[in-house]
Amino acid sequence: MGETMSEQSSKDGGSLANPTRRTVLALGAAAASTVVTIRPALAQTAGSVMNCEIPVPGPQHSGQYIAADGSLVAPGTPGSFAPPSRPITGEEAKTLLRGGFTPNGMDSQSAQAYANYIRRLQSGMSGFTCYASLQLPR
Amino acid sequence: MAGAIYIADDADAVRSVALDGLVALFHLPSGMTHIVAPPAPQILEALQQGPADARTLLARIAAIYELEEGSAEAIAARLDELETAGLVRRA
Repeated sequence: MGETMSEQSSKDGGSLANPTRRTVLALGAAAASTVVTIRPALAQTAGSVMNCEIPVPGPQHSGQYIAADGSLVAPGTPGSFAPPSRPITGEEAKTLLRGGFTPNGMDSQSAQAYANYIRRLQSGMSGFTCYASLQLPR
Repeated sequence: MAGAIYIADDADAVRSVALDGLVALFHLPSGMTHIVAPPAPQILEALQQGPADARTLLARIAAIYELEEGSAEAIAARLDELETAGLVRRA
């Protein structure tokens, strides 16, 4: 990682919006890493990550449908999808968010809406801790 | 590989602090903190112009920066890391 940093001549990391001059930017070797993630205290083990579940939607919004962009809408709204009959497991969510693989028993369009719902989860919402833990690097 | 289209969350989903060459990013949706080195911040910033594949991102970045070795493969490798970290996703 040091290799890619040392060649950056801009002190503040540069800005696309206000370039003061054309700074030299090294893209780095394919093997070099430029991202370090700080693990939060939650989700200590890979096991707990894969076993957690994400209700879609959370119990406080039970019965609502999921629009293609992942927002919650009234049941029967055109273009929206009925919630899945069961929570999505952490393992299913991980493959769904990464490669778009559809969990068993769900069609691909609904699954994409569910994926967008999961991406919109915020702290405090049901399933958020599970979603956040999915972001942990292996 | 260069064909995959990537998108990043809106700028207001990420808080960033410059750390003398590195950038600390707090990703609000996931609650995760990341320390990123160039060219990762530049890639994320270029993605704010809209979804793009590695080649398009390379062109956007090359318009601003002098690139020492401008390969889409290097951008693609960085995008893989950012995807693993949850900072970008495939459209």
